[in-house]
Amino acid sequence: MNLMTLAFKSILNRKASVLLTLFTIAISVMLLLSIERVRQEAKQSFSSTISGTDLIVGARTGDIQLLLSSVFRIGHANNGLSWQSYQYIKEQRGVAWTIPISLGDSHKGFSVLGSDENYFQYYRYGKKQSLTFTRGRAYHNAQEVVIGSEVAKQLHYHVGQQIVVAHGMGNTSFHHHDDNPLTIVGVLEPTGTPVDKTLHVPLKAIELMHGPAHTTGTRIINSNKHEHEHEHEHEHEHSKDLSALESEPGDLIGHPKTLTAFLMGFESPLYTLQVRRNINTYKPEALSAIMPGVTLRELWGMLDIVEKILLLFSVVVVLISFLGMLTTLLSSLSQRRRELAILRSVGARPRHIFSLMCSEAVLITVLGSLIGVAMFYLLMFIGQGILQAQFGIAISLSLLSYYELMLLGVIMVAGAVIGTIPAIRAYFYSLNDGMSIKL
Amino acid sequence: MIQISDLTFSWPGQPLATLHISNLYIAKGEKLFLHGPSGSGKSTLLGLLAGIQTAQQGSITILGQDLGQLSDAKRDKFRADHIGTIFQNFNLLPYLSPVENVILGCNFSNRRAANLNSANNSANQQAVTLLEELGIDELCRNRSVGELSIGQQQRVAAARAFIGQPELIIADEPTSALDADNRDVFIKQLFEQADHYQATVLFVSHDSSLADLFDRKVSLQEINGACR
Repeated sequence: MNLMTLAFKSILNRKASVLLTLFTIAISVMLLLSIERVRQEAKQSFSSTISGTDLIVGARTGDIQLLLSSVFRIGHANNGLSWQSYQYIKEQRGVAWTIPISLGDSHKGFSVLGSDENYFQYYRYGKKQSLTFTRGRAYHNAQEVVIGSEVAKQLHYHVGQQIVVAHGMGNTSFHHHDDNPLTIVGVLEPTGTPVDKTLHVPLKAIELMHGPAHTTGTRIINSNKHEHEHEHEHEHEHSKDLSALESEPGDLIGHPKTLTAFLMGFESPLYTLQVRRNINTYKPEALSAIMPGVTLRELWGMLDIVEKILLLFSVVVVLISFLGMLTTLLSSLSQRRRELAILRSVGARPRHIFSLMCSEAVLITVLGSLIGVAMFYLLMFIGQGILQAQFGIAISLSLLSYYELMLLGVIMVAGAVIGTIPAIRAYFYSLNDGMSIKL
Repeated sequence: MIQISDLTFSWPGQPLATLHISNLYIAKGEKLFLHGPSGSGKSTLLGLLAGIQTAQQGSITILGQDLGQLSDAKRDKFRADHIGTIFQNFNLLPYLSPVENVILGCNFSNRRAANLNSANNSANQQAVTLLEELGIDELCRNRSVGELSIGQQQRVAAARAFIGQPELIIADEPTSALDADNRDVFIKQLFEQADHYQATVLFVSHDSSLADLFDRKVSLQEINGACR
C-alpha cells in the first residue's frame, strides 16, 4: 500500500463531498473542452466553406455582406449585377473560369441557387475538394435539380422525385408554382458547408420560376414530357436505374437579366489583384470584388471577441471548480487532524503528509478530468446532429487533439498546484500537533 | 533502553519550562507505569520520547541513540523503526480495514517491513496472526474499523504497535475508554505480546490503580522538576 492508495481510500471515506467536487471539476472540464472543440470546428468549417475561388464579384456592397450572401446564404444582396457586366468581366485576360450565382428563392426553408455546369466543375471547398455526388449526376436542363445532402436527409428526397420550387425566401411562401416541377437528378456528398443545405438549379429554371408567361409553351411541353418520364419510372417499380432519368441536354442559362454574384478563378494568382482593381473601378455598374480568404479572415476577426469571451467563461468555470476543491480539502482538513496524528505516530514524516494531501488533490483532478472527458464525448455525441442541422458545424468525435490534451495538462497541473495549499497547511499541522490528538 | 538526563523543555513563547527531568532510566524489557495526571507534562514527555519535539537542554537516549543528535527526518524514521504507539482512543484510520491498519506503519519503516518479511510470512498473514493472538477473529477482521467495539479497536491498535517488532511500546492512556473487564484483558494481552517480542513498555495513565500490574511505577509529578 503506497501513499496513492492511502490517499484514494481516504477520499473514498469522504465520498459525498469529494463526489461533488469531482463533478464540479468534471463539468468544468466538459464545458471547457466542448467550447474549445465547437470553436475550433466552427472556425474550421467556416474557413473551409469556400476555397480555390480567387474573387467573388457582386453589386457594390460591403465585403463581408457580399461574402455572407453569396457563400453563406445569410442576408440578402440588395441588388444584383447585370448579365452584361458578367459577360464583359468573364472575357478579361487571365480568367480561367466563372461560376454565376443567382440566389433569392427557397424551397421549404432551403435556399435555391441558380448556376450553370461550371458550378459542379469548378466549385471547391475545404482543401480544394470538388463537389461529388452520392447519387445521380449534375443537371442537364432547366427541369432538373441537384440537392445538397442535408436537403435530401431532412426532406427525405431521393433521386427521381419531382419537387416544386417556390419563388421567394422562407417556407411559408404562398406563391407556389405548382405548374413548374423539377426532377431531382443528383444528391451531393456532405461537405459541412452551406452547399449541403442548398438546392442547385440551372439559371434558366430560376428564370422560368419568375417569368412563367414568357416561356409558357416550352415549359408545358417540357413538364409533360417529364410527367411521362415519371410514370415510366413508376412502371419499373422505382427501379434505381438512373438511366430512367436520361434527359436531353438543354439550355441551362436562358436569358437572365441579373445575377446575385459570380465566382472567379484565374489562370495565375497574379491576375487577381489586377482584375479586382478593374472590377472595382468598372464604370457602367458599381461592383465589388472580394478575395474570399481575406474576407473570411476579416469576418472571423469580428467574431474573435465572442470567441475570447466564451473561452474566458470556461476558464472562469474551471477556476471556480478548483476553488470548490480547495474549500472541500481545507474544510475537511480540520476534521482530519486526528488522521494526520495517527499517521505521524506510525512514522509518517511531515513530507509524507504533504504528499498525501497533494496526491488527494491530484487524484480528484485526474478523476474529475477523466469523467469530464467522458461527459464531453457524450455531449458531443448528442450535440453533433443539432449543431450540424442548426449551424452547419460538423463536429468530429475524433480523439483529443494536441491542444485539447494541453488544456487537460494545464488543468491537472493547476489542480496539483492548488492541492499544495491544503498540503502546506497539513504539513504545519503535523509539525505542530505531532502525535497528540487535538480535536 | 531509555536514558533521560537533565532534560529541559519549554514550549516556544512560554518563559517557564514545561518539563525538567534530571534522570530517568528504563531498562530493556521493563514494563514501566508512568503515572501522570493531566498538566503533569505527560504529552510533552511522550512527544519528546517519540522525537516529535526536541529538548532545549539535556538528552534523551533510546537504544543508545541520542535523539538530539538526529535530524527531524531521522527522528521520524527512528520512531517508525523502533517505537510502537497506542493512544487513548480513536487510534485507527476509519477507511482502512483492521489488517490494513495494523500494517500501516510498515509503509514508513523499512526496518519493520524487513522484520516482517524475514519471518517467512507475508505482512498480511503476520497481521492476521497477531490479531488472532489478541482475540480479533476473522469475523471482526472483515468488518470495517468503525463497526468494532472500543475494546476491539484498542486491540487492533496494539497489534499495529507490535507489528514488525519495535523495541519500545508507548501506550498513552490506552485503557481509559475501556471498562474494567476489558481493561484487565487488554493489559494482560499487552504484556503477553511484550514478553513475546521482548519489547519495553512505557504505559502512561492517570489511573494509579493499574500500577500494581507493572514492574515499576514512576510518578511524573515527582520526577518533573518543572511541575508545581
